[in-house]
Amino acid sequence: MSETKPYLDRWAGLALLLPMAALLAIFFVYPLARTVWQSFYEYGFTLRAYETLLSSTLFWKVLKTTFAISFTATIVALLAGYPVALHLSRLPPQRRMPYLVMVMLPFWTSILVKSFALIVLLGYDGIVNNALSFVFGSPIHIPMVFNRVGAILGMVNYLLPFMILSILSSLLTQDVNLGRAAEVMGASRFTIFRRITLPLSMPGVLAGVLISFTLSIGMYITPALLGGRQDMMMANLIDFYTRQTLDWPLASAIAVVLLLVSGVLVAMLGQVRGAGGMKEMAR
Amino acid sequence: MQPIARDMIRVTALTRTYGSFNALDAVDLSVAQGEFVTLLGPSGSGKSTLLNLISGMIEPTSGKIEIDGRDATNQPTNQRGLGMVFQNYALMPHMTVFENVAFPLQVRKVPKSEIETRVRDVLRLIQLEHVADRKPKQLSGGQQQRISLARCIVYRPSIILMDEPLGALDKKLREDMQLEIKRLHAELGITMIYVTHDQEEALAMSDRIVLMRKGRIEQQGRPEELYFRPDTLFTADFLGSSNLLMGTIDVSARTLQTAYGNLPLPATRPGEPKSGDGVLMIRPESVRLFSETAPETWSGLQATVRDSIVLGSFVRHFLELPGGKRVIVQEPSGASLSRPERGSTVRVAWGPQDARLLRTDPDFQNL
Ligand SMILES: Nc1ncnc2c1ncn2[C@@H]1O[C@H](COP(=O)(O)OP(=O)(O)OP(=O)(O)O)[C@@H](O)[C@H]1O
Ligand SMILES: [Mg+2]
Repeated sequence: MSETKPYLDRWAGLALLLPMAALLAIFFVYPLARTVWQSFYEYGFTLRAYETLLSSTLFWKVLKTTFAISFTATIVALLAGYPVALHLSRLPPQRRMPYLVMVMLPFWTSILVKSFALIVLLGYDGIVNNALSFVFGSPIHIPMVFNRVGAILGMVNYLLPFMILSILSSLLTQDVNLGRAAEVMGASRFTIFRRITLPLSMPGVLAGVLISFTLSIGMYITPALLGGRQDMMMANLIDFYTRQTLDWPLASAIAVVLLLVSGVLVAMLGQVRGAGGMKEMAR
Repeated sequence: MQPIARDMIRVTALTRTYGSFNALDAVDLSVAQGEFVTLLGPSGSGKSTLLNLISGMIEPTSGKIEIDGRDATNQPTNQRGLGMVFQNYALMPHMTVFENVAFPLQVRKVPKSEIETRVRDVLRLIQLEHVADRKPKQLSGGQQQRISLARCIVYRPSIILMDEPLGALDKKLREDMQLEIKRLHAELGITMIYVTHDQEEALAMSDRIVLMRKGRIEQQGRPEELYFRPDTLFTADFLGSSNLLMGTIDVSARTLQTAYGNLPLPATRPGEPKSGDGVLMIRPESVRLFSETAPETWSGLQATVRDSIVLGSFVRHFLELPGGKRVIVQEPSGASLSRPERGSTVRVAWGPQDARLLRTDPDFQNL
């Protein structure tokens, strides 16, 4: 460690952190603690909510659906995102910029707007079906929304920037001379990809997958708007218990389960980025 | 050395432009089999550009590249059958040393058992057998560069290109590696094209130096040729140190009229300036100090001693001509050396044939 004197002394530093810490405490930590508390407390400490949950077929069904949809969406995002990241990594920086903005655009768009846009695109009489009808000359109505396909497509649309950026960042840390050296040694482009580019990008792939999966299991609006009746996910189940049956302890218990799963995933993400992380591998 | 070897590489009128800028400007170059050729030159002179054109990593704007008699101008890099060593080693960080060296053999579909023996052999050749199972990151810079050399020679390319391979190493290690590379070159008879901007390295290692300047070849030849018989001011200045005296050529008297007197010129040679302005170049080791008179046929000038430093096997005198012009004299040193006193007046002189008349150059105004 360097011995340089910090710009601010300890107390000044803490004082500057205070407003942010207060904000987080009031609007994040307190409600979270309240939720955990609520899942155990109904006129006294009880495990009633968890017992009900574990014996509820609906809960297990929704949990399975959640994992299945999240897993599929993550894999689709990976398969769609990797080639984009690979292409972006090979562009010169000035040419990469406009494409990066296009990748980032969905980040800055309301998820509601994106969902409705997808309905317009993929609906019964949507743009895609109309285009297909036109091309094949007969009416085509492939069902792409209000079912699992719609939920997954909507989620993939949301996940892609995260996936692309984390893969891109690990591709960009790779030494360009590695590919050149391999090429001089006689390796084909495919061999270079399989033996060098792909293995060295694994930390980014893993990070992208973990981020995407974590985001997926908590999704609410997208499956609600684009999915079918069968595609209820955990967040929608919480909504169901808070607003339909008014069983708040049960809703809280689901939230706690979701929180735990996410917590484990985030911890794994930390592992990927930490010790065996990208920078290490790329050096 | 073989008297006449065939050309392993021949480039003709090779040009690479970026926009309107010529990074390489109509360069012709041939490299014979087994030759050690160094591309030397200042930063931005086009050394890497020429090397990367040969390897195929950049495409020429115009011109022709032949490798071992084949036209390779449009051949993909991975079919040129070359070897290349990079300054930053370019070892695969996720593979062990063994896997790194085995990689080019796997690419060539060499049978597994043969890969094993060939990798072991080449690691023994560079005396790094014991690190076979380590990752490159666990090695020192010098070891990494030796591995990257091993990875190159293991598949026996007939030509190896090196772009400042020792640039990242410290001085001592660099000298060891220079010897190592020379040894491998001599043992394996591989044709080498070596890029450096370090003139000492170029002088020490090369059969031939190709000195580059602004995308063109300024001069090429054996190290001693370039050093003692430079054709241009740029060459004289880039290699070693030199004394440069500017003046006007007196054609009838065959002298150079300078601010310090009329200096006799060496015998005429092709390519020297015939009249007008010229520069006389004399290497510091060709100049002698005399306390009294110099030999009659020698050129001589009066000078004041400013400093005299012993650099081990030789001694350097820093002198000043009337008017402030600095002159460097280098003599072999010895136990019986008597150094001239600071401030004393001496005569400096040189044999006329040790001087060289060069053209003036707009890049060298203040001589
Ligand atoms: N991709 C490029 N775009 C524009 N100019 C370039 C490009 N690559 C090289 N150049 C220019 O071409 C010239 C020659 O570059 P090159 O890399 O061959 O120099 P060099 O002799 O290897 O120098 P150094 O000793 O610094 O490595 C430089 O002026 C450089 O700026
Ligand atoms: Mg270079």
